[in-house]
Amino acid sequence: MTATTTTRAATGALQIPVRPRSWPVRLAWAAVAVAIVAAFWDLGIEWSKLASLPSDLAHYTRLMFSDPDWSKLPEALYQTWRSVAMAWTGALLGVVLSTLLGIPAAQGVGPLWVRLPLRWVFAVIRAVPEVVIAIIILTVTGLTPFTGALALAIGGIGTHAKWTYETIESVPQGTSEAVRASGGNVLEVARWGLWPAASPELMSLGLYRFEINVRTSAILGLIGVGGIGDMLTGYTQYREWDTVGVLIIVVIVVTMSIDAVSGRIRRRIMEGAKARDLDRSA
Amino acid sequence: MTTAPQLDIPPRPRTWPRRALIAGAVLVVTVLTTTPALGGVEIDLDSIARNWGNGASRIAMLFQPDWSILPRTWEPMLETLEMALIGTAVSAALAIPLSLWAARPTNPGNPLRMAVRFVLNVVRAVPDLVYATILVAMVGVGALPGIITLVLFDLGIVVKLVSEAIDSSDSSYMEAGRAAGGTQTQINRVTALPQAWPAFASQVLYSLELNVRVSAILGLVGAGGIGRLIDEVRGFYRYDALSTIILLLLVVVILIEVASNYLRKRLR
Repeated sequence: MTATTTTRAATGALQIPVRPRSWPVRLAWAAVAVAIVAAFWDLGIEWSKLASLPSDLAHYTRLMFSDPDWSKLPEALYQTWRSVAMAWTGALLGVVLSTLLGIPAAQGVGPLWVRLPLRWVFAVIRAVPEVVIAIIILTVTGLTPFTGALALAIGGIGTHAKWTYETIESVPQGTSEAVRASGGNVLEVARWGLWPAASPELMSLGLYRFEINVRTSAILGLIGVGGIGDMLTGYTQYREWDTVGVLIIVVIVVTMSIDAVSGRIRRRIMEGAKARDLDRSA
Repeated sequence: MTTAPQLDIPPRPRTWPRRALIAGAVLVVTVLTTTPALGGVEIDLDSIARNWGNGASRIAMLFQPDWSILPRTWEPMLETLEMALIGTAVSAALAIPLSLWAARPTNPGNPLRMAVRFVLNVVRAVPDLVYATILVAMVGVGALPGIITLVLFDLGIVVKLVSEAIDSSDSSYMEAGRAAGGTQTQINRVTALPQAWPAFASQVLYSLELNVRVSAILGLVGAGGIGRLIDEVRGFYRYDALSTIILLLLVVVILIEVASNYLRKRLR
């Protein structure tokens, strides 16, 4: 194939344009490559461990799943329920707080001196992991699921309030203008101009927040606020792999089921009743 | 008094039963999840009032950052960044073939695509720190379990989003490739890859951002990075030192977010 291209280029029958090359881009790629190699070098990972990793993995997988200790299932399910409860309470609180804070942060709703500080607060919260927020809160509320729910709610504000104001900003201006033109005040504009257009997306995002929280609540368990994460750390530390296997299966099944149900509801909210003849199977 | 002209307003659609049902469902779930007797969350506002003095002094410490810990943060912070970078690089390399396998136009063969999607759904269902906890128990404390966690976590996100981008992309180029007699591999390399490249690059950058956040806490379970230090200062209730670490983390995360936003804008 290359031979024909060169002969053609030589005869001038077909001129293939020269591929564009940009030196800054090449240089940037080289820098990225150097950074990655340097990171590998500097971390000093024991690569011998990596060599035995596949056999280790197979060994532990057998320990975990060949004969899971199903007698621990009831407790695992109960702890999962505690985690889910934490996730739901956290999501609800977080959505309420984010809506209250997110609406004034939207362009066209709040003035600049309200918008900017609020957006800064969201950015700061986004940068702090939920676990760290929980560590701070637990000095007041102790190692309880309530701490977990509060951490999820406060940690959720960072992203959720951002989504809220972005959703509100993406609502077409026409309806709001019409309400304003017919004499509506700020509240009426929000109720009749913004809410009908933004509510499906906001509700869908609220459910999505719950899905995220289900995963995060399992993580929060690791610092001891209760739930499935707490149980998992305990049994991993005691190296009771047959129980760890049960816990992992429970986490996977519960998370995937919640995702599936919540995903269906979200699609129903966003797309309305039963999709006509659209192929949504993919 | 003249009679107003009669206007035929169509009847309002009856939406209240459905609304009541939805509100009722939300209410029931909320009540169930906040009933301690059923294992729900105990909304213990009393404890906030009771322990406020205790907590307030600790939270006050947050506002007086102890800068003396700063020199000790460089090394773990660097480790966090290196782990994030390596995790992103490895997962990006693995994500290219996996995304092509997981998307319908690039892999019309049904069984393998379904298998890849199913495995990735399972991988995504396990939270990141759970992987880290188990991997630390398997391969020992250090950066290695952290990196494997990040790779698994990134693969779940990047492959899902990139394969969805390929699914919804314009497949006429691929049809042209097929009409010209290309094999599936040739079609994928020449048409699907360049088309998916912006989505891919943008997701990889996003996963780098996430990785910095995640790898910051991996140390809490012994998987390396700045989380190790967070765990240490929290053990001693040194919230003034914790505050310094949070501020440092804030600066790093925001810098990376700004850089990645800039690069993503350039990609469009």
